[in-house]
Amino acid sequence: MRMDTVIIGGGLSGLACGISLAKRGKRVTIVASGQSTMLFNGGSMEMLGYVDGKAVENPLEAIASLPESHPYSKIGADRIASLAERVKLLFSDSGIDMTGSANANHWRITPMGIAKPAWLTLSDHLRIDDINRLPARRLALMCIRGYFDQPNAMLAQGLRDLGFEVEMIEFTTDDITALRRSPSEMRATSLAKRLVSNSALQRVADQFNSLASDADMVLMPSVFGQTDSSDFQMLQSMTNKPLRLVATLPPSVAGMRMMTQLRHYFKMLGGTYLTGDTAVSGTFDGDRLTSITTAKLSDMPLMADNFVLASGSFISRGLRADYERVYEPVLGVDIDADADREQWTRFGVLNAQSYFGYGVATDDQLRCLKQGKPIQNLRAIGSVLSGHDAVKMGDGTGVSLLTAIAAADHIRENK
Amino acid sequence: MAERMQICNLSEHNFEQCTKCSICTTVCPVAAVTTDYPGPKQAGPDGERYRLKDPAYFDKALKLCLNCKRCEVACPSGVHIADIIQHARMRATEGHRATLRDTMLANTDLLGTMANLVAPMANATLGLKPTKLLMDSVMAIDKHRTFPAYSRQKFTTWYKRHAAKQQDAFAHHVSYFHGCYVNYNFPKLGQDLVKLLNAVGYGVHLLDKEQCCGVALIANGLYKQAKRQARTNIDNIRTSVNRDQRVVLTTSSSCTFNMRDEYPSMLGIDNADVRDSISLATRFIYRLVDEEKIKLVFKQDYKRRLAYHTACHMQRMGWQLYSIELLRMIPGLDLVELEQNCCGISGTYGFKKENYERSQAIGSVLFKDIEKAGVEAVTTDCETCKWQIEMSTGLPVENPISVLADALDVEATRKANGI
Ligand SMILES: Cc1cc2nc3c(=O)[nH]c(=O)nc-3n(C[C@H](O)[C@H](O)[C@H](O)COP(=O)(O)OP(=O)(O)OC[C@H]3O[C@@H](n4cnc5c(N)ncnc54)[C@H](O)[C@@H]3O)c2cc1C
Ligand code: SF4
Ligand code: SF4
Repeated sequence: MRMDTVIIGGGLSGLACGISLAKRGKRVTIVASGQSTMLFNGGSMEMLGYVDGKAVENPLEAIASLPESHPYSKIGADRIASLAERVKLLFSDSGIDMTGSANANHWRITPMGIAKPAWLTLSDHLRIDDINRLPARRLALMCIRGYFDQPNAMLAQGLRDLGFEVEMIEFTTDDITALRRSPSEMRATSLAKRLVSNSALQRVADQFNSLASDADMVLMPSVFGQTDSSDFQMLQSMTNKPLRLVATLPPSVAGMRMMTQLRHYFKMLGGTYLTGDTAVSGTFDGDRLTSITTAKLSDMPLMADNFVLASGSFISRGLRADYERVYEPVLGVDIDADADREQWTRFGVLNAQSYFGYGVATDDQLRCLKQGKPIQNLRAIGSVLSGHDAVKMGDGTGVSLLTAIAAADHIRENK
Repeated sequence: MAERMQICNLSEHNFEQCTKCSICTTVCPVAAVTTDYPGPKQAGPDGERYRLKDPAYFDKALKLCLNCKRCEVACPSGVHIADIIQHARMRATEGHRATLRDTMLANTDLLGTMANLVAPMANATLGLKPTKLLMDSVMAIDKHRTFPAYSRQKFTTWYKRHAAKQQDAFAHHVSYFHGCYVNYNFPKLGQDLVKLLNAVGYGVHLLDKEQCCGVALIANGLYKQAKRQARTNIDNIRTSVNRDQRVVLTTSSSCTFNMRDEYPSMLGIDNADVRDSISLATRFIYRLVDEEKIKLVFKQDYKRRLAYHTACHMQRMGWQLYSIELLRMIPGLDLVELEQNCCGISGTYGFKKENYERSQAIGSVLFKDIEKAGVEAVTTDCETCKWQIEMSTGLPVENPISVLADALDVEATRKANGI
């Protein structure tokens, strides 16, 4: 089978790149083994959150000072602003309603109640633009009875530390109580499946309206809307106070919804998404990759003019490590990593770990290197790349989105 | 040494690879509609830790699992969740006798043989209200279900009378594992395959002997019988591959998945030497077109709008691509690819009275999607999906092979392939 471009990995970066190419009429196939790390996402995108441990106010400005090895430097700091606008467009085209600005971070709230710098946040989620001017004074934090994927006390304390007055209000409805019979299924995504009909939403809204009468704003765990934001909008229209969602522990409803919407849009543009298949090897001809083979289409190599590696980091198996080395398992391309195993980790789980920065080595066009030489038609994007640290720098989703669009541009220009 | 340590640590079904991320719980169609089922993570890897300690931890609710494998497709860590669940069920039910109802539902070929003999009567009787009520109360087969109609003439009878003789004349040859559905209920699908393959120069042959693939036997806990039939099938497939040099094609995604993947993993039947030679017909034909070995020419005036439904086992095999790409070759066909949702029937599961409501609730997402698609018919590679979608939406459902055969310009295709 021949395509214009084959992408390995169907997470945020693979889909963003696939959409950019398909939109220009290219035939694109994405090979996607399993779900992605978006199911851990709390409803925000981060371009650059921290430099040297300090929160970044203006990401565009701060990007200029990043080392050459950072993916943003490879894209070119001067190009980031225009790419960032295209990311916003990509979301709105996919039906995802996000707001934010690349030259002024806002704050998103983690499930633990910690404020973290963010670039874009879903409009129905709580965000704070200015810590000195909170969007509300009195918050009613609605706590679902029997739902443990939201550490309510910590969340409330975090919000109080930010200056909110918080009242924790426990509530339930018949639909929610029914779920408690199976404690292992009392999760954000299961709740979202139950709370869909107008009557189920009305029962929730009734609780809000009777219990939260003193508040300026009602805050609720993000358990609405598996496929779009209509359930939330319905609930808002039934509630007589402004309503906002706050991220839960994974699996994340917001992340699942965004993935569904992106995938849907990609398919609408004519893209092919191979769910649950894994790229296992590639065939090279000199400095070009000619085809890849997948586990399930084992006797039909996927041929293409261009390939993109978007297979994620260790957690997604885009990178692997054994007792001796760190490696990229599908194509065996070069890795930036310490050779000495002692250097991979540092004492203390919460300390910066060197392995977070490991990844595929690329040139300034994001082309993968193999034995030190660039493969002309193979690019790497997203968290499989070396030179950034999503945990300590808060740049994970930004790197995924911006490298994805930059790589799509390179592919187009190279024709 | 280091490498070997890691190999030694690999357990059956990748059980220890579970990172407890809970992603599998988000896609399970059963857990989505009932709290009686603990969900794939709890039923699979989590519960297994207890069961390994003490089999008494087996939870009867595990029988609610559809074995649809959607959890496995979603798991980022490659855990064979549904296999863990099925094996736990197998261990727990060893030595138990299946009920008469389950035995009857599972023996699709026995039921078929009997019904074919008396087809008009069987169809009438199985469709009659009193019979249905009787089956509902005595056999616990839900009264809402309609048994798929039995054909008067078996596919094999038709084949021997009308097709067998011509097949040797072709330059290339394949064997066809028709399965119970084609043989007893819907010979037209087999006839369509013969028409399609003959038009591109391939002769179609039957295996020396075939038995029901046993997918329903496994689902209903009749493992011994399933093993016997699996051995017969693999032996005959082996003969076709080795003696006749013919690959074996099927037109049912469930038979295919069962013979390729469940035979070794569920029944311990080694099929490694012939597994690659068992293939779905759409995959085989797509590959021939892709490699430019054959050409398909379609009717000029063909015009239809259809929706493609990816059956669960098709998704697990990752082969929907072949059927979809093949259908997309038909110029006059406007194909809507439906979101991948379970239809809820899962073979014989939905026929059981205790499962009927759940089965319909599971399928409701898909049925709504189909309604929205505004199509005249649905196409899918699985026959039980066909029954379920036809019953629940009222739209006709066709196998992609039938759609292709219907759209094919036979004369032009023969000419294009030099026949
Ligand atoms: C626990 C966790 C929490 C996070 N939280 C946040 C957050 O709150 N905010 C934020 O901005 N960022 C966060 N990040 C980072 C962010 O999720 C990622 O940077 C970004 O989503 C990565 O997208 P990606 O497409 O590059 O990779 P991934 O999301 O890892 O996707 C890679 C995909 O490729 C697939 N794949 C791998 N190998 C193959 C193969 N051989 N063949 C086919 N497919 C393959 C994988 O199954 C996976 O689906 C978090 C990351 C983790 C791990
Ligand atoms: S089985 Fe897979 S998807 Fe389910 S919790 Fe474990 S790792 Fe996650
Ligand atoms: S096989 Fe299907 S029904 Fe069974 S646990 Fe997995 S997703 Fe649920």
